[in-house]
Amino acid sequence: MISRSGETLRGGPRPQLTVDELHQVRWFLGGMLTLIGVASALYIDAEAWWLVGLVVVTSLATTFFPALPARVPRLVQVLAFPLMAASFAADLWLRSELLPAMVRLDLMLLLYRALLYRQRRDDLQVIVLGLFLIVVAGVLSVSLTFAVQILAYTACALLFLLVLTLVETTPTPGTAIGAGTSAVPPWAARVQWPRLLRRVLAVAEWRVAALGVGLFLGVVAITALLFLVIPRFQLDNGMFLDRFITKKARTGFSDSIKFGDVSEIQQDNGVALHVDVSDPTQIPTAPYWRMLVLDLYEKGTFRISPALRVQRFATPRTGSIVYGNGRSRRDDTRWVVYLEAGVSRYLPLLGPYRQIRFAEAQTYQSGKDMALVALTNDPVTMTAYQVDSFDLSSGVRDLPGAFYGEETSARSLTADERQILRRVATDAAGAEPLSAAEFASRVGAWLRERHRYSLKPEIPAGGGDPLVRWADSRGAGHCELFAGSFVLLARVAGHRARVVTGFRGGSWNGFSNSFTIHNSDAHAWAEIFDRGSGVWLRADPLELPATAQTEKNATAGAGARRLDRSWAARLDSLRVFWYRRVVSFDEQAQAQTLKIVKELAQSSTQRLRERFSRGLTVLRTWIAQPLDGRKVLALLGAMTVAAGLTWGWRRLRGGLSRWRRGEGDRDDPTRQEAGRWLRRLQNGRGAEEPCPAVVPDLQRLRFGPRQTWPEPKLVFQEARRALKDQRRSRTSLARA
Amino acid sequence: MSNVTAARRPFTWNAVLWSLVYPQRVHRVVPTIPGVVLVSLSIGIGLAAYNSSSNILFLTLSLLLASLVLSGVLSWLNLKRVSWRVVVPSVLRVGHDAMVGLHVRNRKTFLPTYGLRFTFFARSRRPDAEQRPESTLTARGEAVRAALARAAAGEIRGQVALPGRLEPQSVVQLDWVFRPTRRGCVRLELASVGSMFPFGFLRKDVGITDATDVVVWPATIDYQRLNRHRATRQNGDQRVARAGSGSDLFAVRPYQPGDSHRLIHWKASARTRQLLVRQFADETASGYHVWLEADRARWPREEQFELLVSLAATLCEDLFRAGRLLSVSIGAGAEIPVRRVHDLETVLNRLAVLEPTANDPAATRNGGGLGNVLRFAPDGSRGVVALVNGERLVSA
Repeated sequence: MISRSGETLRGGPRPQLTVDELHQVRWFLGGMLTLIGVASALYIDAEAWWLVGLVVVTSLATTFFPALPARVPRLVQVLAFPLMAASFAADLWLRSELLPAMVRLDLMLLLYRALLYRQRRDDLQVIVLGLFLIVVAGVLSVSLTFAVQILAYTACALLFLLVLTLVETTPTPGTAIGAGTSAVPPWAARVQWPRLLRRVLAVAEWRVAALGVGLFLGVVAITALLFLVIPRFQLDNGMFLDRFITKKARTGFSDSIKFGDVSEIQQDNGVALHVDVSDPTQIPTAPYWRMLVLDLYEKGTFRISPALRVQRFATPRTGSIVYGNGRSRRDDTRWVVYLEAGVSRYLPLLGPYRQIRFAEAQTYQSGKDMALVALTNDPVTMTAYQVDSFDLSSGVRDLPGAFYGEETSARSLTADERQILRRVATDAAGAEPLSAAEFASRVGAWLRERHRYSLKPEIPAGGGDPLVRWADSRGAGHCELFAGSFVLLARVAGHRARVVTGFRGGSWNGFSNSFTIHNSDAHAWAEIFDRGSGVWLRADPLELPATAQTEKNATAGAGARRLDRSWAARLDSLRVFWYRRVVSFDEQAQAQTLKIVKELAQSSTQRLRERFSRGLTVLRTWIAQPLDGRKVLALLGAMTVAAGLTWGWRRLRGGLSRWRRGEGDRDDPTRQEAGRWLRRLQNGRGAEEPCPAVVPDLQRLRFGPRQTWPEPKLVFQEARRALKDQRRSRTSLARA
Repeated sequence: MSNVTAARRPFTWNAVLWSLVYPQRVHRVVPTIPGVVLVSLSIGIGLAAYNSSSNILFLTLSLLLASLVLSGVLSWLNLKRVSWRVVVPSVLRVGHDAMVGLHVRNRKTFLPTYGLRFTFFARSRRPDAEQRPESTLTARGEAVRAALARAAAGEIRGQVALPGRLEPQSVVQLDWVFRPTRRGCVRLELASVGSMFPFGFLRKDVGITDATDVVVWPATIDYQRLNRHRATRQNGDQRVARAGSGSDLFAVRPYQPGDSHRLIHWKASARTRQLLVRQFADETASGYHVWLEADRARWPREEQFELLVSLAATLCEDLFRAGRLLSVSIGAGAEIPVRRVHDLETVLNRLAVLEPTANDPAATRNGGGLGNVLRFAPDGSRGVVALVNGERLVSA
């Protein structure tokens, strides 16, 4: 048999993409890879916003207008690499930060690759550069976005490599990629993206596409499986990438708080922390997550005094476990807290704790008496820690000493302002001496009565201390003003008091079964020292404090009242899953998971065996019984069901077989086209007009086996002619 | 016909798992540059993952490994139920293009096949000599390299790529065109079917064991006619056994459209119940007996010997076309009467594999008795001349 080489002797008529079209798809996918990779740079504090913007704009422009790279001057190609090398060296020398410099170099290389036509090795370089950015961003942010990005990037990269392979194996009649030349390659000369999309859709076969999607889901499943079974062992070397970048906190919970800082955090509805609780009934009705204790007040700012920092916080230590003052109880509840990046270096805690266990070694300072823990550096990634039982009943018991008195709040106040505060305190709580609890109750009620809560405070204009002016007014204010006023009033009344910042409240995520606290739950309140019990009492002027006993009893319904089943909660549950099962997955979790899988498999097998043996026993007993009418009916019924199942199975198998052979595939483009022509000819035909001669061929294309098809192109041309003839005859009839 | 799915073994899970990690005997998997990059990336990320205990890196490592698995699955699917058949031409000739056909069939139900690359080899070999491996244990490096270079010089390698996509349930024909450079026996071999599909990480080659031995006839060459010699007719003792236009009955054959009705042999037709026509013997006996002496003493130079064989083959063909080739004697071999094309092909096949012999005892045996004997002699140090009765007829 003599035929032209490469000619299909027998086969389907589905079109194929030309080399130029494959190059266009390759170029488009390369641009998309660049964009996905660059998007991840937004999560890295590399101070390269302008570079990111430039790469995005350039990549978009050259991707959709592939003729543009031909206009780039030759000089750019010559000078690019020396300039990039010099820029990298200068960057490293001036800033002394390796990772940000590497990220910026990566962005410059991506920019260069987006500006010029790429050869195969350049395309591979784009893949590696983008992957570097995504992995670095993922390691530094530990964000759920990483999972989305890496999956999108993998799908895009695999498609890209597939197209590269197809380009290599497709004959290239004089078509060059165009790398290193200033001329516009033929494929880039005039790209019509809508037409290309239509061509790709025409070429694509839905079963192959479905298989591709299925295989990619298989990749995801295999990834999960490999992630589960890859052996883990702890080298305790810490996050190596962290050393090469300077960490920066991105929120307001720092050592000092000006008025408005907490309220600013409240504007953000992002998640601050997720909490997994082994016993949800232990969650208080109004949980107060303490982070910072602020004793010193100066010029409108509360901060930790240097003396308190020195005396109450221990020297920094590095380790995985922090021991607290909480008493050990039998019903220890485990609280696993996932603190989002940028919230604070002070860990949110409900109160005194027995011990805190970090997922990996951390350098920290423990204020054991104050029930506070501060990390040395602001974490740039999510920080996970497990608290083994909070002691919610005993309260914080650090002795106030010289702190928290009037002397730490009155330095910047004038004598008049002190006088005003004394007057206000007398108005609020009376002149007679009160216990701390009674004082807190009266002053809290008085503040709530005189001031309205608002995120837009109304501080009277004038000179002097703003807090004193507000306390003496009836203007609205936010939690910091309430708490600050309370502390100043308590101090002038002779009580030790302090401002505490953190979070109040939260909601129970019904999808992930975890407690979620948002930044909008940020709060400031006060604590007043009760000399009688030696305990710091929480004094929140914006809410009456509940006793510890009441909180414990009310917890059963608390979770239900705060149940969150919104779409945002669904998204949060994904994040919790990510933190629980991926980010915090360690040797112990791996062993537990494998153990659970093994037990599940064993128990399932056991159950199946038992069911089978029981069923067999029942069947034997039933057969052993004498034959009666019911038994005959049952047998007949069983036989009918068996026959029905056999018939159904044969039908199904036949259908599957036909589907696999592609018979009856109504989605075949040729069959669809034939159907369209049949409809057009049918609609255009009059009642007396003869059936066009092309109709049998069209019907064969529409319904017949593929092997018997005539040449579709010729048949469609004939159908077009027949339709024109029909229209012509109708027009002539109408004129007649 | 070669088929990757032809060899079926009994199914065992162990065999499946083993086949996944270890290539089969004739299969070869070589990482490409992207493959090396991927493996290096995986190793680097794996080291970093263990160094930092970062689950992000473990996840990335898992994804890279899963991509490798996907690559293997797609590669397997691509080659699954693909078969091929090599169509070897019947005649090969030195200096003439030969076309080796390859029919590739995709018998999958809905999956197309992409990016196959077929590697062919044409290796010269001695037809009768057994090809044995030679020990290299004691050989020196230069000797091994020289042996490999000799082997490489004696083979022609070619690759044919499947252009684009091979649709399911369809067949495509590919052609490998090559030009033999040496006469003799050539082993045409479809050495492997390779593919870098789908992602180009690995180049997978499926080794094929099918090979076909084909004879390459000597080249046709231009020669110079020196003397217009007329072959003389012999007296009586020469019987010409070839169909012609004489008066002696030579044979009967089936009637063919266009034959004269006068030639129909009615008696034989009646007996056999089919029309037969008479063939008469050729009256002219003015042909040549070609006698080729291949002793090494006469043809010490290899190039000159090759020229001799080519000239002999060309003359034989030309004489046969002119109806003037009676027989051919090659060295000490028996005389081959040439009456049909098949006889000429036999001669050409013999010439294709002819090697110089130590001595030629036939020189004395065949010297007399025959008239119009066309013999060959060296013409200077490079040329060859054909002589008839001592008279120079042609030279090359």
